[in-house]
Amino acid sequence: MREILILLKPRFWSFRNSFSASGIREKKLKFLFFGAIGLAFWVGIFAIFYRVLTYFQGTEAFGDILAYKLLSMTLITFFSLLLFSSILTALSKLYLSKDLALVHSMPVRTEKIFLARWFESALDSSWMVLIYSLPVFLSYGIVFKAGPVFYGTVIFNLVPFCLIASSLSTLVVLAVAGLLPAGRLRGILAILAGVLFIILVIAFRIMRPERLVNPAAFSSVMLYVQALETPGSPLLPTTWMMDSLRAALSGSVTGSLFHAALSWSFSLTLIFTTMGLSGTIYLKGLSRAQSVPGRLFAFRRLMKSGRLRIFNFLPGPVRAITVKEIRTFLRDQTQWPQLFLILALVAIYLYNFYVLPVDKSMIKMEYLQNILSFLNMGLSTFVLAALSARFVFPAVSNEGPAFWIVRSSPVPIGVFLWIKFYIFLIPLLILTETLTVASNLLLHVTPFMMALSVITVFFMVPAIVAMGIGLGAAYPDFQSENPAQSATSLGGLIYMTLCAGLIGAVIVLEAGPAYTIFMAGVRSKSIAPFQWVWISLAFAVVPVICALAVILPMRWGEKKLNLDQS
Amino acid sequence: MIELKDLTKRYGTVLAVNRINLSISPGEIFGFIGPNGAGKTTTIKMMGGILRPTAGTVIIDEIDMALEPEKVKQRIGFIPDRPFLYEKLTGMEFMRFTADLFGMGDGLFRERAENVLKMFSLQDWSGELIEAYSHGMKQRLVISAALLHDPRIIIVDEPMVGLDPAGIRMIKGLFRRLAAAGTTIFMSTHTLEVAEDVCDRIGIIHLGSLIAMGTMADLKHMASRKDANLEELFLKLTEEESFTS
Repeated sequence: MREILILLKPRFWSFRNSFSASGIREKKLKFLFFGAIGLAFWVGIFAIFYRVLTYFQGTEAFGDILAYKLLSMTLITFFSLLLFSSILTALSKLYLSKDLALVHSMPVRTEKIFLARWFESALDSSWMVLIYSLPVFLSYGIVFKAGPVFYGTVIFNLVPFCLIASSLSTLVVLAVAGLLPAGRLRGILAILAGVLFIILVIAFRIMRPERLVNPAAFSSVMLYVQALETPGSPLLPTTWMMDSLRAALSGSVTGSLFHAALSWSFSLTLIFTTMGLSGTIYLKGLSRAQSVPGRLFAFRRLMKSGRLRIFNFLPGPVRAITVKEIRTFLRDQTQWPQLFLILALVAIYLYNFYVLPVDKSMIKMEYLQNILSFLNMGLSTFVLAALSARFVFPAVSNEGPAFWIVRSSPVPIGVFLWIKFYIFLIPLLILTETLTVASNLLLHVTPFMMALSVITVFFMVPAIVAMGIGLGAAYPDFQSENPAQSATSLGGLIYMTLCAGLIGAVIVLEAGPAYTIFMAGVRSKSIAPFQWVWISLAFAVVPVICALAVILPMRWGEKKLNLDQS
Repeated sequence: MIELKDLTKRYGTVLAVNRINLSISPGEIFGFIGPNGAGKTTTIKMMGGILRPTAGTVIIDEIDMALEPEKVKQRIGFIPDRPFLYEKLTGMEFMRFTADLFGMGDGLFRERAENVLKMFSLQDWSGELIEAYSHGMKQRLVISAALLHDPRIIIVDEPMVGLDPAGIRMIKGLFRRLAAAGTTIFMSTHTLEVAEDVCDRIGIIHLGSLIAMGTMADLKHMASRKDANLEELFLKLTEEESFTS
């Protein structure tokens, strides 16, 4: 036990030192910002569950059935999340951590190292699910007017629940890492996770849950409720926890303890099995993890000639950096799921406009369509800002420790930043314009609104991309193992705030003039000369703001990156 | 070919490099040695245009680095001490990338890249991702890329780290051949035998200051040790300096 505690100390000390090291102000700000977001999310979950459960309680015939079915589905979701997050964490902790060579060179038994790593992995993969499951249980406790026994039962069940998920995942990782190098396994898992998530999101959206609020569909819901009463498999840990909580809610302490005991006995059996197996197969997988993973998919045909030929027309440095960016992006398998996710989100975004019941609204259809089109401008640029925070802002930090290559090359930092700007501008401009035009076509907006959206987005995309590159250069992190995380740094927060400010400013500037022109068209009235002056001024300010948002951050980024040399 | 004038670098209150003055002629191999933390890498980074001096100037081929950095970098082959590279590129792609950055034409590139990679025994690995390379292979790739545009000056920090004996021997021979052809080489190293073996002149930096400079004979004279090798001279001179400071 002493050795295990020693092995866990670096983690604890690093955490403690992170609050005493330099940059404490930035860390506090970050902590407060994300703490506030986390708290809002926590309260949101509680509010939604409380509202839904109160609503269910109001339906006499099947209120409890629905509430228990919802709890069962929530537990299955939590368990799936725990399983998947445990697989990724266990893989990383047991086979891919950089300190493994150091730890294994110490005079400590492999089983002890394994146990310490497993404990860390179980904690890392469970804490978030644990925290965000609490508002769910709290809402059940309040709505069902449960006593302290219920809350005790929740805690008593949650611990083995997490341990089971972590042990099962670790067993899977142990087994598969014995067959495949861990580096390759991570790539495959990342892609699988992405695809699975996208399928879930699309399936959920295509189910159109909003139809449930339509009374016309009520008879089919009744049929559905009959199916809800089917109990879960008695072999699933989620069923044990569900039964234990259900017993606690109905006041049966013995029943609750019995089902919780099932969870505890299974979790302890799994832990002992995992520990027993670790002695024989962990080292085998670890040795395999040291081998070079090789490429998951080789784009040999695309890149056969040593570069992407379509970029041959570009000048040398521009071509060098462009081709390098594309290659490194395509070969980093952890990026792929995010690409798939973007495509899925775009499809869902457009699908939402397709199924929007504009014709059923009480507001005049033509008016609503154009209002939505105007809001869509803000929404699509917000989507762009979120994408840019993930891909554009870390673009400079992505150079990592290899940034010396750019610094020692005969390419000025300013030119380097502008090349990065254009690399991201072109695909993002195409994406945002496609989103805007397609959603406007689905909304059947007027030609004026179509032109206004297309032109405004055309000005805003360069501004958002330039702010991403410029601020990313002003707040670079070349030492990070995962530069994508720089989006959550102070620079990333400033970037998102500035983006929100820019989008808000443009929307506010254009809202009045666009409304005046649109209403004049609808009412067939002419616009007064003084209104024309106001409209022209407002529309003229937009490109000026956007131009400033391109030039100023890029110059600032260049200046700061050059100052970094000092 | 290389001229450092009062080159100074401060990190806050720490004086990393203190008014270094030196001049290196074309075709000369200059060895730059010193204890850990003496200021070698800082000096090299300033010469490579990666770090800006607090004061003083770096003049390469009669061009001031502060005034025309791109022009100067075009003439330099820079080899850092740690070979951080783009892990997701293949060796050949990295060579192409470097060639494009230095504005090399297509006609020249392929032949030169193949020759250089062959010289460093990397031709069979040129299609593999750099993440699969060993430390020594990465080091050889960095050197290959630095030589690709036929630089007039090579600035190299710890060239022998990670190389096997055959690699060290090959690099020593290569540097001699390049210097004979007129290339100036500024080399920082901890491997004193290499410095003694290939360098025309040696500079010793200690606590940020250049405490001794000259040929092996000059250094022996300074240390009043006629039969000493470079290791003994280095230890004596740096110890004396530590004692006096």
